[in-house]
Amino acid sequence: MKLLKYTIYRLLQAIPVLIGISVITFLLANLGPGDPVSLMLQGQEHSEELVRTIERRYGLDRPLHERYLTYMGGLLQGDFGQSIHHQRPVADLMINRVGPTLLLVLSAYAFALATAIPLGIIAANRRNEPTDHVSRIAALVGVSTPSFWIGIVLILIFAVTLGWLPSSGLIYPWRPPSAYRGIDGHLELYYESVRHLLLPMIALGTLQMATIMRVERTQMIESLQGEYVKLARAYGVPERTILRKHAFNVAQLPIITIVGLNLSTAIGGAVLVETVFNINGMGRLFVNAISTNDYQLVMGITMMLGFLFVIGVIITDISYAYVDPRVTYGERE
Amino acid sequence: MSSEPLLRVENLKTQFFTEAGTVRAVDGLSFEVREGEIVGLVGESGAGKSVASMSIMGLVEAPGEIVAGEITYKGETIFGLEEGPDGELRKRDDALSDEEIRTRIRGNEIAVIFQDPMESLNPVFTVGGQLREFIELNRGLGEDEAKAAAIDMLREVGIPDPEERYEEYPHQFSGGMRQRVLIAMALACEPSLIIADEPTTALDVTVEGQILDLVDDLQAKYGTSFIWVTHDLGVVAEICDRVNVMYLGEIVEQAPVDELFYDTKHPYTNALLDSIPRPDRTVTELEAIEGVMPEAITPPSGCRFHPRCPDAREVCKRVHPEAKVVDDAGGEPHRAACVQHDAFDVGYDESPPLEGVAGGVSTVRDEGSGDSGADSELAANPTGDDSGGGSRE
Repeated sequence: MKLLKYTIYRLLQAIPVLIGISVITFLLANLGPGDPVSLMLQGQEHSEELVRTIERRYGLDRPLHERYLTYMGGLLQGDFGQSIHHQRPVADLMINRVGPTLLLVLSAYAFALATAIPLGIIAANRRNEPTDHVSRIAALVGVSTPSFWIGIVLILIFAVTLGWLPSSGLIYPWRPPSAYRGIDGHLELYYESVRHLLLPMIALGTLQMATIMRVERTQMIESLQGEYVKLARAYGVPERTILRKHAFNVAQLPIITIVGLNLSTAIGGAVLVETVFNINGMGRLFVNAISTNDYQLVMGITMMLGFLFVIGVIITDISYAYVDPRVTYGERE
Repeated sequence: MSSEPLLRVENLKTQFFTEAGTVRAVDGLSFEVREGEIVGLVGESGAGKSVASMSIMGLVEAPGEIVAGEITYKGETIFGLEEGPDGELRKRDDALSDEEIRTRIRGNEIAVIFQDPMESLNPVFTVGGQLREFIELNRGLGEDEAKAAAIDMLREVGIPDPEERYEEYPHQFSGGMRQRVLIAMALACEPSLIIADEPTTALDVTVEGQILDLVDDLQAKYGTSFIWVTHDLGVVAEICDRVNVMYLGEIVEQAPVDELFYDTKHPYTNALLDSIPRPDRTVTELEAIEGVMPEAITPPSGCRFHPRCPDAREVCKRVHPEAKVVDDAGGEPHRAACVQHDAFDVGYDESPPLEGVAGGVSTVRDEGSGDSGADSELAANPTGDDSGGGSRE
């Protein structure tokens, strides 16, 4: 199975990337301004001896490369170290926060793809007609508006003024209904979780939607002018089949690339959207960790986000190889 | 001229309405294709050959439009216009609708082979899948039967291991092999007519030779008629039965292939022949045709070839010749659109030669810009042929 081989090959390639991320994060966290020990002591009266004891306890007295290796050794066993601020293992803190962020990012992408692809096709099919112009302006607005601002406006309209949707927090569909007050049964749990997800999903997904829609339009126009479309027409293929099959499949290839590359902006946007909508995801944890100089936590989250990004890119590559028969699997024959 | 021909194109005019003006890409084209023959459509780039073939398929894309003419296929009108009560042109009632052309004509009656085999196949579907789709659609076969027919046809066009190649993608095929696939595609739909639009232009010469041999064999076997669009008279000599030479949207000469080569009646055809190497003539230098073909947006007055014609005289600037029978070649008419011939009684012999035409280039530039008032005066057309007509503004 060629595809399986390719997948394994890409996963192995990710290892040096992850090591690179870890080195850079480690250096940045340790060489940056701020000193974790004085942070822990929070300006209390302290002796030199106390500082030394704390440094020894956290291994801060050892040289940088030794500390890095110790840290990496821990990582391999799933130990991200101890958060100074929370006094809890970093891994424990993160494990509860990954879910909401993933839920947010994935649903934002689902929203973006589900709207952008049909809209892009319609715009391409009605090129230079009013529909196309409206979609162009909408895309321009979508690309140039920051997600947190969209979030605030959505809250103002749909939560504050109309009162249709909640303005903060998420309901997690994977938790038991009993975890929430006033929710009976799974059906209501799913319903509430969708209601809570709607606004942050749109806030985060709009940028992606606008980008994907423009690319889809361009690709479809190009694809519709392809010789293979002319050939299909000459053989009596119905216009609808041409649009849905012959032109469509070729046009989707660059969309996959866009989705993969924009993963970083989506994760970055999630930080802001989580703050606006009061969602306890990785993003908010990250912002707090930075503002409290919790360097173990910052490092842990950076590693985790880097890991998610690399996984996302790998999935992109693999699906590209799956969809486009022209992609070679990096084999030298 | 025995019975009804397979395809008859009469006075076809296809125009493109662009911001710069109306481009008369095909301007009064008439020709026919009979059962089992290969008819050449020859001319330089921009002569309107491809537009003509797309017009037959009803596949002219906006801003292009067929504005006049009639196309008859197997006795049925596939395209025809008439003047409505309000004076607007409209489709005739007996002409096939777009939907009928799509389902009844395209693919199953008239198939095409395009110029660029590298681009004509869809890169994300297997070669076999694409063949099968067209066969299913045009022959009404089920999936398995269509697949079997596809594999048979791949074998027929000389693709080795057709069962395995069936599952492969276009990028795994060479240019020549892809052109074979496109030929298989056309033949597999069992049409009566195949329009081959410069099918060997993108291939190198050895592969071109193989493809021409292949088409020759298959044509003899299946009896399919071909319209062979090309700019290459060498290809014409090798494969065609009858030839139409096009210049600026018009047919300037129409003759059986041997007649055309050995008893050329139009200076343009002559010029084309002089510009290619021929085994029966030894020359020190090939003669290129002077100047470039003018834009079809502002065609020269009179005979459209006169700015580049070595034999042009004063009368050629004024008289627009329509192709007429000038000779008879064993029952076949030999038509040419040149006033040199006696069939045109417009006083060519008495007319003084044109100044500066031998150089050609300067005259072409004048005509190309199409701005001078003198031109429009000269465009007054004594033959009564309305070369400015057909515009619908």
